[in-house]
Amino acid sequence: MRRALLGLSLMLSALLGVSSPVASSRAAAPSLVGKNAPDFVLKAMDGRNLRMSEFRGQVVLVNFWARWAGDSRQEMPALDRINTTYSRAGLVVLGVSVDEDLGRAREFAGAMKVSYPIMFDTGAAIGRDYLLQKMPMTILVDRAGVVRYSNVGFKRGDERAYLDHIRELLRE
Amino acid sequence: MNPKYRVVSIIARGALLACAWAAGAALAAPSAATAAAGGPPTATAPATPASGTTAAPDVAPAAGVAPADNFKTLDQEVQGLKKDVIDLNKDLFVLEEELLFPSNTQVALYVSMDVGAFFALDSVTVKIDNKEVKNYLYTAREADALLKGGVQQIYLGNLKVGKHELVAFFTGKGPAERDYKRGATINFDKGIGAKYLELKITDRVAKHQPEFSIKDWE
Repeated sequence: MRRALLGLSLMLSALLGVSSPVASSRAAAPSLVGKNAPDFVLKAMDGRNLRMSEFRGQVVLVNFWARWAGDSRQEMPALDRINTTYSRAGLVVLGVSVDEDLGRAREFAGAMKVSYPIMFDTGAAIGRDYLLQKMPMTILVDRAGVVRYSNVGFKRGDERAYLDHIRELLRE
Repeated sequence: MNPKYRVVSIIARGALLACAWAAGAALAAPSAATAAAGGPPTATAPATPASGTTAAPDVAPAAGVAPADNFKTLDQEVQGLKKDVIDLNKDLFVLEEELLFPSNTQVALYVSMDVGAFFALDSVTVKIDNKEVKNYLYTAREADALLKGGVQQIYLGNLKVGKHELVAFFTGKGPAERDYKRGATINFDKGIGAKYLELKITDRVAKHQPEFSIKDWE
């Protein structure tokens, strides 16, 4: 009887042991939403140095992208349209390349012909600070410098969610 | 006073203040309710502004415990607490700095810029004993602040007593908008006290060139 109970408990624990990692993987990935956006300074394509904290008082959309991430190619034109429409209302769009190959990243950014500043990060610190998991990743920072929205990857229709959040943040 | 005791005293005063606020609110609430129940003075006041009596003076005496004086004292208390918090924060900052960078090993580097007609600063890289300790990119605003007389602490660290070499590389736009990179070196002796070094960017008008130097503040 004891053996049967022991076997049963082992089976149960094994089942729980198998199911718990699944549950934990389903749990929300670490996100910066609600926290202050980490500061960084990077050189933009036009030669200027841009510091994140200097945009305090404006709504900032930061798009981390990589040449090898196919979704970036789709997302950048959408962000360019958003930038053209909302820059006068106080929105700042920043593109941050996380490509290790600076030359090819510059080439790619030049080909995309976007109107917002593109910066290049070849180190690992900014990616670590912003908890980058997958490319592209887009975050929205409010006027007080707090991350209010984060989106990993990009699919058609995501730009509508961006617009909703941007309008809301611009109204604040 | 010891910062630990100051923290405790601030927390205790904050708790007392919270109690005082709660008591004030409890006193004010019934009086406001009775004033509202009385009806005419508060309800008609907005409609008859020319009458000269507003709702506030009618309600205030009904509270009974001179709330204006109470609130004034509470406000002073709040201001006092805020000042204490700022002072405490300053003390903690100084303590943290003393702990992390004790004065016998501390080395601090500052950047200053004078005129800047021949040089637009883009970045500074600092190496101590051939090891890069700082690489700083300047935004247009930061460069402007330096030109207006600002002095920036670019690095604060620890060094052993003895001889050391510091090399600073300055990059930016030189005369005629050309890319410009120059270095400056200093060999210095780190004694027991803190060491302060200033990386200076000045204009050499005679040569129409910028000049980079490192000053050792004894």
